[in-house]
Amino acid sequence: MSEKSEIVAREERMPEQTSKLATLTPLVDIFENDNEILLHADMPGVPKEEITVNIDNGRLEISGTRKLSATGSITWQEFGDAEYRRVFSVPQTIDVAKVNAELQDGVLRLHLPKSEKAKPRMVEIKAG
Amino acid sequence: MWTRGNDFDRMFGAMDLLRSRMGRLLNDFDRSYGDYTFQVETGPKTNLYDSGDKLKIIAEVPGIAKGDLNIRIQGNYLELSGSRKVETPEGYKAHRIERTTTTFTRSFTLPVEVDAERAEAALKNGMLILEIPKIEAAKPRQITIS
Repeated sequence: MSEKSEIVAREERMPEQTSKLATLTPLVDIFENDNEILLHADMPGVPKEEITVNIDNGRLEISGTRKLSATGSITWQEFGDAEYRRVFSVPQTIDVAKVNAELQDGVLRLHLPKSEKAKPRMVEIKAG
Repeated sequence: MWTRGNDFDRMFGAMDLLRSRMGRLLNDFDRSYGDYTFQVETGPKTNLYDSGDKLKIIAEVPGIAKGDLNIRIQGNYLELSGSRKVETPEGYKAHRIERTTTTFTRSFTLPVEVDAERAEAALKNGMLILEIPKIEAAKPRQITIS
């Protein structure tokens, strides 16, 4: 009954995901050209140091925490401290060593270059 | 015995399907909980803090450059407006577009009269931080007991 034990195990793993911080899913745009996959994610209020990008075995995880250092009494509050987190599946053909990211105006721009062998290649037809 | 195993497989298959459906439903819920769809229509989310002699307003404005954001204060009326363009970069094809091009205007009535002349605004990591001192008459005053 391996299936059964797996279902139970998954349920038990669930509570680990709940943390004190509210978890938000950042909105993303995903683009691709011949050389790379480009990902833009909105993460307002997250400083550069708080962002982590993890690529492991075809699984890309971006996360970042935002802490508002607010003083004074709250008149109204529509957002608070939060953790942004989102997981994607990426092809194994990503050249992990060359991945780079930049952060500007609260938008994370992640460049995921494809490895040489995954790039499209023009095949030349030789005259017979 | 073989047929029974098959029944089990089918049952677990159905459960897996249900679980993945539930997972998707929860994801959609999380998304709407983030309230970004709401933001498109009404402008960025804001917080307002009152620290005695000044008001501090912070707003989520990811991807909006300094030049695309306008702040107007008139008396105790504050208006934030701006726009964001999201374009597919040259030479790329889009797989998924969730961040949208928006134009927004959001206005507030501040709880007290403010000194608009000395207001300061900064943009940091996609957050607008606006600090507006209150006018003298609205500041809290210490009263000594004689």
